[in-house]
Amino acid sequence: MYGSASTHDIPNQATTGLENEDPILLAEFEAHIARGEKIEPTDWMPQLYRKQLTRMIEQHAHSEIIGSLPEGTWITRAPGFRRKMAQMAKVQDEVGHAQLLYSAAETLGKTREQMLSDLINGKSKYSNVFNYPTPTWADSNVISWLIDAGAIVNQMANAKGSYGPYCRALDRICAEEAFHLKYGHDAVVHLATGTPIQRRMMQEALNRWWPAIMTFFGPSDKMSTHTEILMRWKVKMATNDACRQQFLDMYVPKIWEIGLTLPDANLHKNEDGVWEFSEPDWEDFKRVINGDGPCNAERIAVRRAAEENGAWVRRAMQQPQARYVRPLA
Amino acid sequence: MLFSLDPRISRLELPDSALPPPDKAALDQFPTYEVFHQRKENTAYVYVGPVHAPEADVAFLFGKEQFSRRFPCTGMWVVLTSAIKVTEYGDDQQSVYDRLPLLPADEIGTADASGLESYDIFHLKKRGKAHAHVGQVSAASPEAALQAAKASFGDQRPVVNVWVVRSADLLRSDDDDRDMWTTTPDKKYREAISYKVQDRIDRFKQEG
Amino acid sequence: MNPKLDLLYRLADDQLILGHRNSEWNGLGPILEEDIAFSSMAQDKLGHSLQLYMLLHELGEAEPDTVAFTRNTPQFHCCQLTELPIGEYDFSLMRHFLFDHAELLRFEALADSSYEPLALVARKVKGELKYHVLHANTWVKRLGTATEEAIERMQAALEFTLPYALGIFETTEAEPEIISSGLFIGEVELQRRWEASISKVLAQTSLVLPDLRLLTPVTGGRHGQHTEHLQPLLDEMAEVFRLDPTADW
Ligand SMILES: [Fe+2]
Ligand SMILES: [Fe+2]
Ligand SMILES: [Fe+2]
Repeated sequence: MYGSASTHDIPNQATTGLENEDPILLAEFEAHIARGEKIEPTDWMPQLYRKQLTRMIEQHAHSEIIGSLPEGTWITRAPGFRRKMAQMAKVQDEVGHAQLLYSAAETLGKTREQMLSDLINGKSKYSNVFNYPTPTWADSNVISWLIDAGAIVNQMANAKGSYGPYCRALDRICAEEAFHLKYGHDAVVHLATGTPIQRRMMQEALNRWWPAIMTFFGPSDKMSTHTEILMRWKVKMATNDACRQQFLDMYVPKIWEIGLTLPDANLHKNEDGVWEFSEPDWEDFKRVINGDGPCNAERIAVRRAAEENGAWVRRAMQQPQARYVRPLA
Repeated sequence: MLFSLDPRISRLELPDSALPPPDKAALDQFPTYEVFHQRKENTAYVYVGPVHAPEADVAFLFGKEQFSRRFPCTGMWVVLTSAIKVTEYGDDQQSVYDRLPLLPADEIGTADASGLESYDIFHLKKRGKAHAHVGQVSAASPEAALQAAKASFGDQRPVVNVWVVRSADLLRSDDDDRDMWTTTPDKKYREAISYKVQDRIDRFKQEG
Repeated sequence: MNPKLDLLYRLADDQLILGHRNSEWNGLGPILEEDIAFSSMAQDKLGHSLQLYMLLHELGEAEPDTVAFTRNTPQFHCCQLTELPIGEYDFSLMRHFLFDHAELLRFEALADSSYEPLALVARKVKGELKYHVLHANTWVKRLGTATEEAIERMQAALEFTLPYALGIFETTEAEPEIISSGLFIGEVELQRRWEASISKVLAQTSLVLPDLRLLTPVTGGRHGQHTEHLQPLLDEMAEVFRLDPTADW
């Protein structure tokens, strides 16, 4: 994952469009959600709900497929059988997550062709952290453990959301994330408690990644009418700040206990149990998410190349009589 | 040429800056097939999700690794999405069979079995969960099959949604293909439980 | 070399090197679902090689990680087919088809090996390999009967790959003893079965199988002679491991 929060993408148009929706259908829709029932693809739903969910699930899917690249960077170099096989399995899972999420988004009416086109044409966003490089094996381990840990915080929350197909995909994804988290932790612990070379490699990677990790959940939410409605409809399940606090609470102690340090002198838990930290550089975050990061161009170029190199295969496999309908669930 | 930290990518010899590719044509990603799997002998086949594939046999190859590469599995079915007839969705406490319009007897099918075909019926018991196979009926059309399903399985409730599939449209794994899944549970490197690192942490803390 | 070691090294190195090569597709495949399937099969190959290196370890050889990550080209006994770069998907699929047919038949025969630990491994992975071959056959049949472009590509891939594929069956000095001791049926018999098996599939396509007797097999791999591609592959694979081969990664 890597979820909506990491691209901080709630529409800020003045209007929610709700005044144009049929009030009876809207009431029925909201009653489903209030009763804790999931919304299924053929149910009536407000335009804003469809649009926001499509965008969110699509961005989540892009984040998985792009997210497979920084760890894929080390797939041919993982040290030893155990790591080699697990690294392959993890990268494979991330591709699998993309497949599951694109399918969930398709049930809302956007085709996978359109979503992939938007990705390779630079029209869609994905989690900003994947615009940073993984210069060493330890960087890959930081992603496996801590980026996935952040993702899990997001995904566990979203799995309690209101849209059936997204929840089904997330249940499956969360089960696999348990492996990612344990694998990533295991790899980090081995380096952090290992030889001097390994420890240095680990600490340097963590220093490189920490600023990006702190931006992972996005800036503090601006509470708007949109945000409120999306929370009532169980599209947005937790605020960015709540996710960040939960993440820090669960993982900072685990980082410290293996002798690693974090490059933020202000990071601590105050008397109220709230984590305080130096404000991340949101200007830099914006610059990178808008295309000017170290790896943006490469990530898109690689996806394009994969799509283009595989085009002849897909052309050849197409059946002339085939007809597309949305997946059902 | 694009130099990447990923040696695989450097080997692709990509140009530094490529023109944006054209938009994808319709069906570039193929139609979708819905996949069902059976986790244990003698249990119902349960819906696991869709795959994009050009044909059913390829959908089977894809479904197997996307949906059954972990956990035991004893069989898999795939069917083209457009071959599934879907009812509307009811509320969690109801049965959609109650809302079914009654078909005139002559549309349900004649006593003469020659025009009858077998249909597989799947129920969704709760919104957000997955459809599960409940059984087969014989009928002359998908609409009639739904009526027949109501007669056979209508007392089960709640039934939030029903899928009707002509049995001939389902591609089913063979019984003697079950060995394709025999080593799946052995692939422990894919499982969270194989990563136990607490001892190492404790040792590190003691020494520290 | 001891016939058991000789046989095991050939098998294990094939699986390791081809599994490694096929893993390079992970995240770059032609369609998401195929990406996933191809990765699974690459993982299976790594798994097979690990099991075989473990048998070698039981016979007194070094740990699997040491054997896999510290040897250099002359010590590897894989056939040259496995070490070639992944190229385009036509080549990778064709290699997968030609290699995995041989692999399935090999392990089927090894299920009756007089060396029981090996027979056990072979029996266990049978179902897994069945999927690999089903996958390969489905793709070759589809692409081999599809567009003109696909048929041309697959035909070219077949013709390029075949001489290397014949190198799978290169024998070593240990061959007579391998056969006489009941370890394995031998490469000649395996090749006979393989030809029948791939011919049957190719016959259902528009692809033309050249006369194999007119081809010169690319050999040497079983004797430690390799293409220029193997050493860079090994260096890359061991880049991290060799930073400190005694460390626990
Ligand atoms: Fe993921
Ligand atoms: Fe993950
Ligand atoms: Fe194989």
